[in-house]
Amino acid sequence: MTTQVLICDDSSFARKQMARALPANWDIELNYAEHGIEALDLIRQGKGEVLFLDLNMPVMDGYQTLEGIRSEDLPTMTIVVSGDIQPEAMQRVKGLGALEFIKKPVDGNTIGQILASYGISFENEEAAPAQLTSKTFDNADYDLDDSYQELANVAMGRAADLLARLLNTFVIMPIPNVKHLEISELEMAMAHVKSDDSISAVCQGFIGSGVAGEALLIFNESSYSDIAELMKYEGEINEAAQLELLMDISSVLCSACLNGIANQLDINFSLGHPMVIGQHIHFDEILKGAASQWSKLLTIEMGYKIENKNINCDLLLLITEDSIDALNERVSYLLE
Amino acid sequence: MTDFTDSGHVNIKDIHWLMDMLQTIDVGLIVLDRDYHVMVWNSFMENHSGVGPAQIKDKSLFESFPDIPEQWFKQKSESVVLLKSSTFTVWEQRPYLFKFKNYRPITGSAEFMYQNITLIPLLSADNEVKHIGVLIYDVTDIAVNKVKLQEANVKLESLSMTDHLTQLNNRGAWEGYLNQEYSRSKRSGHVSSVVMFDIDHFKKVNDTYGHQAGDEVIRRTSAILTETLRISDVAGRYGGEEFGVILPDTSGENALIFTERLRKRIESEIVEYEDYKINYTISLGISELKPDCESYLDWLEQSDKALYFCKEAGRNQSKVFISG
Repeated sequence: MTTQVLICDDSSFARKQMARALPANWDIELNYAEHGIEALDLIRQGKGEVLFLDLNMPVMDGYQTLEGIRSEDLPTMTIVVSGDIQPEAMQRVKGLGALEFIKKPVDGNTIGQILASYGISFENEEAAPAQLTSKTFDNADYDLDDSYQELANVAMGRAADLLARLLNTFVIMPIPNVKHLEISELEMAMAHVKSDDSISAVCQGFIGSGVAGEALLIFNESSYSDIAELMKYEGEINEAAQLELLMDISSVLCSACLNGIANQLDINFSLGHPMVIGQHIHFDEILKGAASQWSKLLTIEMGYKIENKNINCDLLLLITEDSIDALNERVSYLLE
Repeated sequence: MTDFTDSGHVNIKDIHWLMDMLQTIDVGLIVLDRDYHVMVWNSFMENHSGVGPAQIKDKSLFESFPDIPEQWFKQKSESVVLLKSSTFTVWEQRPYLFKFKNYRPITGSAEFMYQNITLIPLLSADNEVKHIGVLIYDVTDIAVNKVKLQEANVKLESLSMTDHLTQLNNRGAWEGYLNQEYSRSKRSGHVSSVVMFDIDHFKKVNDTYGHQAGDEVIRRTSAILTETLRISDVAGRYGGEEFGVILPDTSGENALIFTERLRKRIESEIVEYEDYKINYTISLGISELKPDCESYLDWLEQSDKALYFCKEAGRNQSKVFISG
């Protein structure tokens, strides 16, 4: 009997990755949704007997979708597939009725084992990968920015997990923002950092396998008192204490995120020693020393927030234009 | 980070020259176990500390180097183990972990070696962090240059005579001129006056229209002031919204003509900032230098008192100080 399977993820790249990870001999009809509202609609139509659900999505996120499924008592088996791997995220979705929690990036073996453990058998003799010719999903090339976003999403999930463990709290993960900019346009792109906000900034260079860039951590200084509290830092939060906190946070976020990217792309990055660009500075001071204001960049912006705390920091991955080809080649392997 | 424990591709006979490289590299390399006992200690560490690998092998790092801030170091290391993620510290946080001599003890200006530190989790075969790698980089030249640059900037700032916002003399420069004028008048017996003035209810301007609007009001005021001055007069920005003007060879009575002209110009001025039209006034105190003044500060204080009387009397006016 053909099973109705629904993949709900805002990233077309992630949907494609997920579709490819499903057992080839599983007799299914594959449906896709970009956010929770679409997913709920399809489930109501009986098109989501098994649901693979992402957590971080615009319009309606995975948590809200789970709540919707529960409140309407919709008939679906939900498996959450997420880049956010904080233990608390797992607990929350299980509490909301998800059967399983799978870390991104997904791999076929894990999916197969999980499906088998729920008694789902794959006996379709026509081993043609039906899911890839499904009507709602053509084989057109995926959007590259979408793949960078997904790459960053998984990496940032790992970094958030470490930050959560360091601070012993829950980190709210937004959707990474991918842009192509010139250095001089960066300030405008960071709309939520106000020009008169007092910030601290640290950068760390990385290079490997033809991909080079910098991770830039921008820390809003109004966040220091809450960070100090979470890290149980005793004593006055003076300049020296702020620097300690800044370096602790940047070490964790930058290396975890860069390692997350490197692992997915099967690269070993060399990391430079982080450099404090400045404390109590404004955003426009960060890049004033840049050699060329006009060089093009691929930027991936990841904003981290802590639940119920006034903590805001942004991790920006700035990737040089001449890295793009090497990056794209590596990204294409992710779908093989 | 290259993992030297993964020696799958390295022949035993190659390990010899590989070790040679690790010994010779000009970076401190230490491997510690979870009890902070030293497992690896390269030549950089030996030569700079004077402690050889044989002496320190299997010994506690903190017992061998009691100067190391134990709690700080442990806190960083524990997070490396817990998170399986490297940690970096920079010399700005802590100039050094090991107090080593400057590599250039003669021509270098620093007394010690500034150090950046990297702590790396070293995974065992079962994917547990059993050891911590410590890398010590000599960053003395970078640190010294940066410290010197900062000192030079502070010095430049104090040497600077000009206020950034208004391009008038800054307080230090203006007081210098006032002191000179004080001495000159005392010596020559010429009459001279000083004016102190400020913007009425300036805090309200800031609170209502924002600081950038406030800055614009200050800039406009300075521009009008500069247009009103005679060539020998010297104006300065004394503080936030406070200005001073030295009027050489000018009596209090004549100074009043100057202050009233300035006051009226400002009163009729409208500063446009974004969508706001800001109308404001100033109050001005004048002091003519009298023989009872014993320093330029006395002179200045009298003009400040006159300014105070203007404020008391309802603002938007100028007054000459009258003693007694």
